Amino acid sequence: MIENVKDPSLEAHNLTVFYQKRPAIWNLDFTLPKGKIIGIMGPNGSGKSTLLKSIMGILKPNDGWVKVFQRKIDDVRFKVSYVPQRQSIDWDFPTNVFEVAKMGRISSKGLFKRFTKTDLEIVKESLHRVNMYDMRNRQISELSGGQQQRTFLARALSQEADLFIMDEPFAGVDAASEKAIIGLLNELKSKGKTLLVVHHDLHSAKNYFDWLVLLNTRLVGSGPLEKLYTDELLSETYGGTLTSLSKIATKIEKQGLPIRHK
Amino acid sequence: MSMGIDDIWIFACACLVAIPCTILGCFLVLRNMSMIGDAIGHAVLPGIFCAYYFYHSKATFPVLIGASLSGLAATFLIQWIHKKVKLQSDASIGISYTLFFAIGVILVSAFGAQADIDQDCILHGEIAQIPLDTLSLNDGFSLGPRQFWMLLGNTLLVVAFCLLGYRALWSTSFDEHFIKSIGIGVLFWQFSLMGMVSLTSVVSFESVGAILVIVFLVGPASTAYLIAKQLNKMIWWSILFAIHACFWGYLAAILFDGSIAGSIATTMGIQFFVVFFFLKWAQNSSNKSLDLQDYE
Repeated sequence: MIENVKDPSLEAHNLTVFYQKRPAIWNLDFTLPKGKIIGIMGPNGSGKSTLLKSIMGILKPNDGWVKVFQRKIDDVRFKVSYVPQRQSIDWDFPTNVFEVAKMGRISSKGLFKRFTKTDLEIVKESLHRVNMYDMRNRQISELSGGQQQRTFLARALSQEADLFIMDEPFAGVDAASEKAIIGLLNELKSKGKTLLVVHHDLHSAKNYFDWLVLLNTRLVGSGPLEKLYTDELLSETYGGTLTSLSKIATKIEKQGLPIRHK
Repeated sequence: MSMGIDDIWIFACACLVAIPCTILGCFLVLRNMSMIGDAIGHAVLPGIFCAYYFYHSKATFPVLIGASLSGLAATFLIQWIHKKVKLQSDASIGISYTLFFAIGVILVSAFGAQADIDQDCILHGEIAQIPLDTLSLNDGFSLGPRQFWMLLGNTLLVVAFCLLGYRALWSTSFDEHFIKSIGIGVLFWQFSLMGMVSLTSVVSFESVGAILVIVFLVGPASTAYLIAKQLNKMIWWSILFAIHACFWGYLAAILFDGSIAGSIATTMGIQFFVVFFFLKWAQNSSNKSLDLQDYE
């Protein structure tokens, strides 16, 4: 069940990424709407983070392409904000909340231009919106998981982007932070922003998202939540078919895959 | 024991090795790359050999160039293995520098008889001999040790590089993926950082020997890491710790008439543990006072 949209925020065609010889994502074709909260769901190792990284151009796809706002990612990076997985960085790094949030301004200021008053105002405002302003001088190693996540979100907000791409923002956060984050997502949506969120908890998914992308190396489905949130599709993503999919992966590893070309 | 102008030159040179090594060391420690100094120390051997072999002299300049190139090549290989082969950084360091060192050993054992070298020539520079090699103007006016001016030049270069590239260096050390995601290339900064480390190490090896360079790359940064909550403060603290250790280490060396490098290195090690145990003690006693307040 794959539903396509006109004037997409994001479009992937034939997107394939291999690690060594094994496909992490294989032949993804989908389009995503604007102004929605979109959940990317799938079991561990189903290629969710790989998908985000190849959207951002951090990983080079072995085949296929992604377009963001119908342009190449390099032309629209200033409109896109990427929130990596919380565990991807060293939280013992000697820096504080404000400095991390300020990194978001590098996307428009570059590495050498001085930050102006306006920049600092934007950072301040972003910290207020995630309720971290009072903790701006905290060393980041002293933060709880939820506070770390909100610091990352403040950094994303201070980029002033139109598309937010978030890797597991709800993983390991406390209830209060979870509420704050989902509140923020809805607020951003009401301003017409598009949010692409990797998530793995099936239960909360139906309260959070407008649109789902179900992923298990290949695309199981992409469409509005009501149409996708069915037992059949979810078990195809998470359950029974898992074994046959991993068989396919192993087979491809052995034989090589004749990749379709553009 | 007597202090003279030579002692001041030696101390100044120790500080001029300490400052650039320490600043670069802060970034290396935060990138889990702090053993790169040790790696470069061994990886320079093939470069030194080639310089001797082709120039048939121990002139400093070709040797420095040879050593730097070979050190740079090793750091590139380390980065490449770490990024492309996706091996952990310590393993990448280990496999690269042993390869370079081994090639150096083979070259020396095969052709070394003509070149009359061993790696002691450069790796084990002796800080006490710095005042013996002076620069002077045509009319005989002495400018002081040659090493001093070389080290000063290197220090200025490293400080300028780190000031100019500060935002880039810290943000790529902290969150490389994010910096990539906003479309900024991180490779340039990795390689120029490693280039600086390579150059600084080679220049410093010749003046003060390998041990002291590794000590300055790792020791002050690790000590400062214990107490600093901000990278810029960490850099200031580490410079302070480095100069502090130079001072007491050098003083002790004069007092006991011992090895200067060994004495400074020992002081640095002791300093680390003093700071560590002091912090533990301070933490415990503040916890205790909290407990007391609870009971009252």
